[in-house]
Amino acid sequence: MRTLSALTAAPTRSGGSAPTARRPRRWGALTGALVVVVLATAPLFLAPFATTTLTRILVFALFAVSLDLLVGVTGLPSLGHAGYFGAGAYAAGWVSLNVTAEMPVPLLAGAAVGALAAALTGWITVRSRGVFFLMLTLAIGETLQQVAETWQSVTGGANGLTGIPSTRIAGQPLTNAGFVHWYVLVFFLAGFGLVWMVARSRFGAALRGIRDNEPRMRALGYPTALYKYATFVLAGGVAGIAGALLVAQQRLVTPADLGFTTAAFALLAVIIGGAGSLWGACVGAALVIVIRDALGPSLGGHGTLVLGIVFVVVVYGLPRGVAGLRRLRRNGTDR
Amino acid sequence: MSAVLEAGLVSVLNGFAIGFLLFILAIGLSLVFGMMDVLNLAHGALFLGGAYLGTAFVGARPSWGAFLAALAVAAVAGLAAGGALSLMTEPLRKRSHLDQALLTLGVALVVAELLTIVFGDDPLTIAAPPGLNGSIGILGITYPAYRLALIGVGAVLALVVYLVVDRTRVGALIRATVADREMVATLGVDNRLVKAAVFAVGSLLATTAGVLGGPVYGARPGLDAAVLILALVVVVIGGLGSARGALVGALIIGQVDTLGRALLPDLASFILFGALALVLVLRPQGLFGGAHGTVPAR
Amino acid sequence: MAEHQLITRRRLLGLFGAAATLPVLSACGSSVGGGGGGGGAGGGTVKIGLVVPQSGVYAALGTDMQRGWELWLEQHNQKLGDYSVQTVIADEGETPQTGVPAVQKVLQSDGVDVVVGIVNSATALGVANLLAESKKLLIVANAGAADITGKARTPHIWRTSFTNAQISAAMGTHLARSGFSDAVYAIAPDYAAGTEVITGFTKAFETGGGKVIGQAKTPFGKTSDFQPFLSGIQASGAKATFCFYSGSEAITFVRQYTQFGLASSIPLYGSGFLTEGNVLPQQGDAALGVQTTLHYSDQLDTPVNKDFVQAYQAKHGEAPSCFAVQTYDAGNVLNRALRTASGLDGDAVAAALEGVGTIDDSPRGPWSFDGQSPRQSIYLRKVEKVDGTLVNAVVEDLGQQSQPV
Repeated sequence: MRTLSALTAAPTRSGGSAPTARRPRRWGALTGALVVVVLATAPLFLAPFATTTLTRILVFALFAVSLDLLVGVTGLPSLGHAGYFGAGAYAAGWVSLNVTAEMPVPLLAGAAVGALAAALTGWITVRSRGVFFLMLTLAIGETLQQVAETWQSVTGGANGLTGIPSTRIAGQPLTNAGFVHWYVLVFFLAGFGLVWMVARSRFGAALRGIRDNEPRMRALGYPTALYKYATFVLAGGVAGIAGALLVAQQRLVTPADLGFTTAAFALLAVIIGGAGSLWGACVGAALVIVIRDALGPSLGGHGTLVLGIVFVVVVYGLPRGVAGLRRLRRNGTDR
Repeated sequence: MSAVLEAGLVSVLNGFAIGFLLFILAIGLSLVFGMMDVLNLAHGALFLGGAYLGTAFVGARPSWGAFLAALAVAAVAGLAAGGALSLMTEPLRKRSHLDQALLTLGVALVVAELLTIVFGDDPLTIAAPPGLNGSIGILGITYPAYRLALIGVGAVLALVVYLVVDRTRVGALIRATVADREMVATLGVDNRLVKAAVFAVGSLLATTAGVLGGPVYGARPGLDAAVLILALVVVVIGGLGSARGALVGALIIGQVDTLGRALLPDLASFILFGALALVLVLRPQGLFGGAHGTVPAR
Repeated sequence: MAEHQLITRRRLLGLFGAAATLPVLSACGSSVGGGGGGGGAGGGTVKIGLVVPQSGVYAALGTDMQRGWELWLEQHNQKLGDYSVQTVIADEGETPQTGVPAVQKVLQSDGVDVVVGIVNSATALGVANLLAESKKLLIVANAGAADITGKARTPHIWRTSFTNAQISAAMGTHLARSGFSDAVYAIAPDYAAGTEVITGFTKAFETGGGKVIGQAKTPFGKTSDFQPFLSGIQASGAKATFCFYSGSEAITFVRQYTQFGLASSIPLYGSGFLTEGNVLPQQGDAALGVQTTLHYSDQLDTPVNKDFVQAYQAKHGEAPSCFAVQTYDAGNVLNRALRTASGLDGDAVAAALEGVGTIDDSPRGPWSFDGQSPRQSIYLRKVEKVDGTLVNAVVEDLGQQSQPV
C-alpha cells in the first residue's frame, strides 16, 4: 500500500495541476474538440461494424472513466465495479422490456439502480484500502453476478435479458447503428464531463488528498469516509449510466456483463491509460475493446495471448500509462 | 440421522484435504505480497503449469516413478519461473501494485494460452499413484485414498513451511523483511535476494500444488483463474504476509467450500464470497493481518 | 407548450436522421459487397460465417464443430447446393460478450450470407435482432435452450442440434418404467441449461409415475469438488441419480461419484453430454456402466454412420462427437435448402428449410424439422469397454422426439 498512491497518481499530482501550464491546456482543449468532431462524424464514413465497435468503445470508456474516479483520483482500486455497471444495464433492460423504452426512462433507471447498488454496498467497502478494498469489491461483484444468475424471474438467469426493444426518443426507435452511436456519444460526453468536473473541483482535490494521505486529511477536518462513500455512489451511478448505454447498443444483458472479467478489463483499461487521467482510461478502454471485439474473433482463439502481450509491453514501455506519453512530451524528459 | 452425520464427517475430512492443498498454494502468494508488495496474479498459472506437467508425466498410466518425476520437474520449473518473475518485477519495485498486477496478469494470460497451445483445450486428468488410486473405508464411509494421503502430505508440508517461517533464522529474516524492508536493508542484507528466494520457493510450492492437486482438480483451461481467486481469498482472509494467517485462512476456506456447501446446499453459489465479505467486514485487515490494510500510504 | 417542444424535437431528429441515414446506409452497402446477389439461378458463391468457440471453456466443442463442418464440405466438393462455399471462421469465445461481436463481425464486416455455429445459448438468444436486422439466417449447431426455437423464436434462427429438455425428458420417461420410479435424485449445475434439463426430466419422470426425492444445484463452473453434494445424495436414500454435466465438470463428477463409493450402490444416469466426446477417456473406468440419453452415438450401427465415423477417424484419429455431427448436419440441411432457395437472404433460405423434409442420410439417423428444431431419435447409451476403449454403446432407440412444449 505504501507505494500505491505515489505511483498511480502521476499525471494529476495532489491538489490538481491546474496552474502548471496554459499552453498545453489550450492544446488539450483543441485535441479534445477534434476528437469529439471525429467521434460525431464517424458514422458518416464508417461501415456499421466499425461504427458499432466505436459505440462499444464509448460505452466501455464511460464505465472505465467512472472507475478511474475511484482508482486514480480517490485511490480505491475496485474489482467489483462491473457489478454497478451490470446493475444499471439490467435495470435499463428490465424497464425497456416491462415498462417503456422511451428516453430518458431506461437511462434514469440505470443511473438510479447503479447508484443505489453502490450505496447499499459502499458503506462496507470504503472502510478498507488497497488490496483489501480490491478483494472486498471482488466479493461484492461476484455476489452481484451470482444474484443475476439466480434471480431468473427478473434477470433471465444465465441466458440474460434478450429481445430488449430499441431505446426510443420521442416515440422514434433508435434502430440504425449511426443513431445509436450519436445517442451513446451524447451521454458519454455528459458522463465524462460530470466526472471531469468532479475531479477538477475542490471536492476532487480533497479526494486526491485522501488518496495520498488519508490521516492528514482527516486531521485537517475532512470527513474522509463520507467523501469516499459519496464518490463510490457517484461512480456507481455513472457506471449505471454506462450500463444503460450498453443496453441501448447491444439490446442484451447477461451475467457476463457484471462478471469478474468485465471488472478486471475495466481496471486494466484504467491502468493502461494511466490511472487518474480520465482521458487515458478512454484510450485504455479503446485498446481493450478493439483487441477483444474487433480483432478477437479473427485471432483463432488467441485473443487473450495478444492481450497478455499488450499488458506486458504497456507496463515496461509506458510506465505512466498512455497518459504518461503526453506528460513526457510536455516536460521534455520524464523525470 | 446417522447418514447426515456421516455426510458431515466426510465433508470435514474433505475440507482438510482441500485446506492443506490451498495452504501450499497460497503461502507463496502471501509471503511475496507481504514482503515485496508484489501482487502476483500469475500464481494461478503456475499452479496450472504444474498440473499440466503432471498430465504429461503421469497421464492415464500411473506409476510412482512418473508421479515423483512430475513433482521434481514441477519443482524445478517452479523455481525457475519464480526467479524469472522476480527479475521481471524488479524494474517495477518503485511502482504501484496495480502496475505489478497488470504485468503479472499479462504474464498469466500468456502462460495460460501457451499451455493451451501445447496441451490442447480438452480437460485432462491425472491418475493418483498406484495404491492411492482406489477408495478405502474409514468409520463406515468410503473415501478416496489419495485425499487421505493429501491430508498427510499437506499437513507435513504446512508444518515445515510454518516452522521455517516462524522459528528459523531464515524465517526471521523473511518476517523482518515483511515488517520493514528498509530496516533489513540497512543491516546489510540484500533484500532483492531475499525477495528472489521467497518468490522462487513460493512458485515452487504453487507448481508442486498443481501436481499434488492434479488427481483432484485435473488440468484444464480456466483452472488458473479459479485457483487464483481461491488463493487470493485465502490470503486476504488470513492476512497478508502471515504464514499462520495463510494456514488458518486455507483451512477455513477448505471447510467453507465443503462443509459449508453440504450444510447450505441452496446457498452453495454464494457461500465463498459471503465468507470473505463477512471476515473483511469484521476484520478489515484479515484475521492475522498486521496494519497493512488500514494504515495509510507512506 | 409541451406539444410544441415535442414537435420541434421530433422534427429536429428527423432532420438529423435524413442527413445521416443515407451515408450510413451506403457505408453499409459498401461493406457487404462480397456475398449476397447470387440468387437461386445457380452458380455463384455462398459465404458462411462459422462462429464457434476457439478460446475459453468451450474451445474443445468448437474444435469438433469446425471439423464436422469441414468434413461435410470436403465430402461434397466444397459446395452447398450449386454454390461454391467460402467459410469465414470467427471465435465465439465463452460468453455473449465475445460471441455477439463475433456474429456481428461476420455479418457486417465479412458480409456472410448464413451463420452457422454458436455453443452458448445466451449468445444464440442475444443475436436474434442482429439477424433480423440484416435479414440473414443462423443455424444453431449446438446451443440447447428451449427459447431459441420456442418462446423467443424468430423466423431466421434454425437449429440442427437438440433442446436441453428433449434429451432429459427421454431419460425421465425411460427411468420411470425401469424400476427406479420411487426414488431418483436429480443434480445439475446452477444455471439456465441445468434448470431446463432438470425441469424436462422431472416433468417426464413424474408423468410416468416417478418421484424425485431430492435435488441439488451445484455452483456452475466453480465446483471442482462434488463431495458435499455426493454426501447429500447418499443421505437422501436415492435409488438412482440423474445428472447433467459436461466438460471438466463431467469428468470430475463421474470420477468422484465412483471414488466416494456411490457408483456401486446408486446407479448413475445422465444427459448424454456427461460421457460424450473427449471427456470419456479422461473419466476412465469410473464411467463404466453409466447410462445416458443423447441424439447420437458414434456406435450407431448404420451404414451412413459407419462411413461418417470412418472418414472422421481417418482424418483426426479419434471418433466423432455429437458436436461434429451437428455442424455436419448443418451442412447437410443447407445443401438441401440452397438447391431450392430463391436467394441467399434469411427469408428465402428459411422458406427453403421448411421444405427439406426428412434428412435420411444423417449419421444420427433420420430426422426432420419440427418447427425450427429437430425431431429426432433419442438413444439410450451405456458406457462399455470395447477392445480396451470406452464407448457409448447403444442400448435402445427411445424413439423420435420433438422439442418438448
